[in-house]
Amino acid sequence: MAGHSDSSSSEKKSSEAMNDVPTFSTENMQNNMKVIYYSRTFMSIIGGVIAGILGFTGFMGFIFYFLVMAITSIGLIAKAKFSVHLYFDSWNRIILDGFMGGLMSFVLFWTFAYDIVHIF
Amino acid sequence: MAEDLVLDTAIRDWVLIPLSVVMVLIGILRYFVSKLMLSFQVPDRKIVKEGQVIVRARNLRGAANFIPPKSFRSRRVYFSNEENGLLFVPKGQAQNAQAQMFSDPNMAMDMMKKNLSMIIPQTLTFAWVNFFFSGFVAAKIPFPLTQRFRSMLQNGIDLSTVDVSYVSSRSWYFLNLFGLRGLFSLILGEENAMDDTQRMMQMGGFGFDPSKSLTAEKDGLDIVQHEWALPKFEHRAEAVLKKLVS
Repeated sequence: MAGHSDSSSSEKKSSEAMNDVPTFSTENMQNNMKVIYYSRTFMSIIGGVIAGILGFTGFMGFIFYFLVMAITSIGLIAKAKFSVHLYFDSWNRIILDGFMGGLMSFVLFWTFAYDIVHIF
Repeated sequence: MAEDLVLDTAIRDWVLIPLSVVMVLIGILRYFVSKLMLSFQVPDRKIVKEGQVIVRARNLRGAANFIPPKSFRSRRVYFSNEENGLLFVPKGQAQNAQAQMFSDPNMAMDMMKKNLSMIIPQTLTFAWVNFFFSGFVAAKIPFPLTQRFRSMLQNGIDLSTVDVSYVSSRSWYFLNLFGLRGLFSLILGEENAMDDTQRMMQMGGFGFDPSKSLTAEKDGLDIVQHEWALPKFEHRAEAVLKKLVS
């Protein structure tokens, strides 16, 4: 889908594959975190507009938000070529991080689009 | 659901969109103003020294597993030695730093300026919204809320039978306030968004930093168990080189 592109540069390898003890380059880790954050924010805004245009109300809208977040997670995992441990230190980062952060933006743009389209 | 209210298109054009646009513009304006007003504060030499010591101790803690045990231990003693270790702060000195921080006029001025630059635009915008845009239904939120939110969301509307989904412009202002944070972080790049909530949380941090974090670092360093991660690196290097050559 066209909406998936990471909104900034690609992720960098943050762990050495050679050591027995995993080490992480902090700078690259932070960069990867930022990429996740931007992607989620962007997707929640777009998702909000879509939800508003499609006319979701109530619960359906929140379920749609979780759907969008899940799609973002899958997109990020695919971008990391499924070897999450090379880029992040745990699975939780890429799946759960920033989940709730985009909620307010989603609601704002959802309300906005819904009003403009449906309550003309 | 109750009857669907039909709202005037003019409300769309003259309330929702201008309010959002104004808030975005004020955010951008505030960003540039804060960049212009960045006053450079001459750092105190002692503070900088202590800060660097902390950074060094933290690096030692983080990379402890890459140096042989004996050198790690000797470094650790250098830091946490009772008499002349760098991290050891006698009790009497601890209080001093905090008092000094707060009575330093430059610091106080800076904090005041930052606080004000956050609060004033918000207050002004809120007052403007209340003055101009009150007394009518502004928007409909797509999800239902309970009756208890009615007084919060429907502030100017005096009819009590209107569905709680129909909100006044004051709640549109608050929705914008929270929702535009994400947008700002995309436009203005890197967390320069309205991090007023984060700033307020950090407010108390300055005065305590030196002495408390020194003792914290010392404790952290004492706790570290050294486990040498590179005992066999010669063998591993040999294996890798063999692979490369063959």
